[in-house]
Amino acid sequence: MTSFDVYLQQVINGTSLGAMYALLALGFTLVYGILELINFAHFNVFMVGSFVGLGMLEALGVAPNGAALTGFALVGVLLATFAVTMLASGLLGVGIERIALKPLRNVKGPAAMITTIGVSYVLFNLVLLGLGADAKNFPSPLPSVSFAIGGAVLRLREILIWVVSLALMGGLTYFVQFTKIGKAMRATAQDPEAARMMGVEVDRVIIAAFFLGSALAGAGGLMFGLYYNLTSYVIGFTAGLRAFTAAVLGGIGNVPGAMLGGILIGLIEAFGSYWISAAWADVVIFSILVLVLVFKPAGLLGRVAPNKS
Amino acid sequence: MLTRRSKLMAASALAVAAGLALSHPASAADQVIKIGIDASLTGGDANEAELVKNGAMLAIDEANAAKTVKGVKFEGYVLDDGTATAGQYDPAQAAVNARKFVADKAVMGEVGPQMSGAAKAMIPIASWANLAMITESATNPAMTDPANAAQYRPNGKPVFFRTVATDAYQGPYLANYYADVLKVKTLYVLDDTGAYGEGIAKAFEEQAQKKGIKLLGHDKLDPKAADYTAVFTKIKEMNPDALFYGGVLQAGVKVVKQAYDILPHTIIKGGGDGIIGAEMFTAAGYPAAEGWYGTQASPHVTEDKAASEFIAKYKAKYNKAPDDYTITAYDGTLVIIDAVKRVKESGKPITREAVRDAVATANVKTLQGMVAFDDNGDIKDKVISIFQAHENKAAAIDDVDGQFKYVGVAPQS
Repeated sequence: MTSFDVYLQQVINGTSLGAMYALLALGFTLVYGILELINFAHFNVFMVGSFVGLGMLEALGVAPNGAALTGFALVGVLLATFAVTMLASGLLGVGIERIALKPLRNVKGPAAMITTIGVSYVLFNLVLLGLGADAKNFPSPLPSVSFAIGGAVLRLREILIWVVSLALMGGLTYFVQFTKIGKAMRATAQDPEAARMMGVEVDRVIIAAFFLGSALAGAGGLMFGLYYNLTSYVIGFTAGLRAFTAAVLGGIGNVPGAMLGGILIGLIEAFGSYWISAAWADVVIFSILVLVLVFKPAGLLGRVAPNKS
Repeated sequence: MLTRRSKLMAASALAVAAGLALSHPASAADQVIKIGIDASLTGGDANEAELVKNGAMLAIDEANAAKTVKGVKFEGYVLDDGTATAGQYDPAQAAVNARKFVADKAVMGEVGPQMSGAAKAMIPIASWANLAMITESATNPAMTDPANAAQYRPNGKPVFFRTVATDAYQGPYLANYYADVLKVKTLYVLDDTGAYGEGIAKAFEEQAQKKGIKLLGHDKLDPKAADYTAVFTKIKEMNPDALFYGGVLQAGVKVVKQAYDILPHTIIKGGGDGIIGAEMFTAAGYPAAEGWYGTQASPHVTEDKAASEFIAKYKAKYNKAPDDYTITAYDGTLVIIDAVKRVKESGKPITREAVRDAVATANVKTLQGMVAFDDNGDIKDKVISIFQAHENKAAAIDDVDGQFKYVGVAPQS
């Protein structure tokens, strides 16, 4: 491999990882934009999503190390699995909001945020107790097709991650910009009081934000499984923390910022591991975060929020 | 005259009394001696933990049934040093467990812990109480190194013994095998930043370099991170003959998968005893696991005839096949029972100090042969066995002994 090939390969590695972080970061940003709440339950909605995807693939008869699918069968299985996983994760997110967060909506202080940490641990321990501590082999219906670009290798699973992430992010952008409920979301994010006076049903907006964010996290969890061929009950914390960092780096509450932040964190992780050492990846990521926040406290694309009081 | 109802009550009272008598066959005068058993029952090493815990329990049950020590009834006191948050052993939990063992006056010895990182937290606490610990699988050399006496023997005498060899032998002997048998010339080393992983990786790479293998690089992996592709891309660029991974399976399954995805399939891959576990096959699976070398810091006796009786008993009782570290756990428990027996027979009161001294001078016939310790608590006879993963469709996918084929004893120099 020439050094150009290696750089290209690291860009492939980093953007694939980053696309996954970006999907997860969008969920933090959607909820924060509307409720100014950091939802730590999101970490483990992602993890539950990967297990839902695993169950769905097994239900469809895809076995670990079984024969790969092609053509319509492959597309059908993937579509069905993504749809079920995203729906289940979205409903889980809405359920968390209804049961654990809605009663605290008017409580001042960090109570709601602490509750999300509690919910995160509940999900984590439920999966641990129900499914066991060992890592699970993730069935993959993807044929092992790969393309050589010089010495670098681009595999089907990377293309899948990019295509799915771009499609979901594009869909989300369209939804937020052009649909009625999307407009209501933006209005609520700007000024909930004024939005309510203009007839926006804030409660519905909140449900939509939790559903969308959690569905994206579920899709992220499924892609994690398809990409690494593994899942386990611990995957939520490291990925969740990096995605949260991505959301802050891009400007929390800002949708394009979350995407940019995710891709940047993925690239920093890949090149940090390559140039320095894998053990320093977190040090590099968080140092860059601190630097960015010192010079741009609202993140790369964020604006300092107007005083709402 | 008994009414029907009181007859029934009398009968059930009798039955309860009979049941009580059955569950306590030892007479009330027997002294209860507890043997602490510490294992990582929660997290990535849970399967292995269950095996070794049952190995120790079987030795205790047999000693009670055979009345090996007259006037003494043994009890296993099992504690878990794994936590959900750590996802594997947690040194802080191990320290809590050590304090629990020490606080219970009936505990006269401990079997375990499995993991070196846990042992490092437990030994200083056990030392102040003179509580003898015998590990079945904690192989990091630091704990028995006399240079670390201030840390691990604050009370003077060693309290930590092993029925396995250490990474000071496990890593280097496998390095000998890489150099002499596999003819490796260039090498890349990874570890999982745990006490065990770092120790074995360092010992491996030092001996490999002495043997003339060129070290191209060494990376440390965060066991909780999911993505090592950047590191493997770097390794692919350097194109070494062989890879060595020092660590346990939490990072190990991801190393096995991603090494297979990214590196050429001709590269030689190996690890220590940390990768010998069911997850190698249930989570990483074939074809990724194919060809990986692994070691055990004990003689491979599960295929010996002498051990076959033990294996049959174990399978009948726990419905699972024991592995080599189940046997070293069983052996360690035999050593503690033997020490208690010698103290008891000498007529002295059974104290932790007396048991520790008896363990230090042990010469006990066990499944792996005679077990005796040197002045630092290490086993005298140090044997490293080498295995290679090879798909075996006749065996179950989680049958570690079936999937890891025994290759032989590693060269000692």
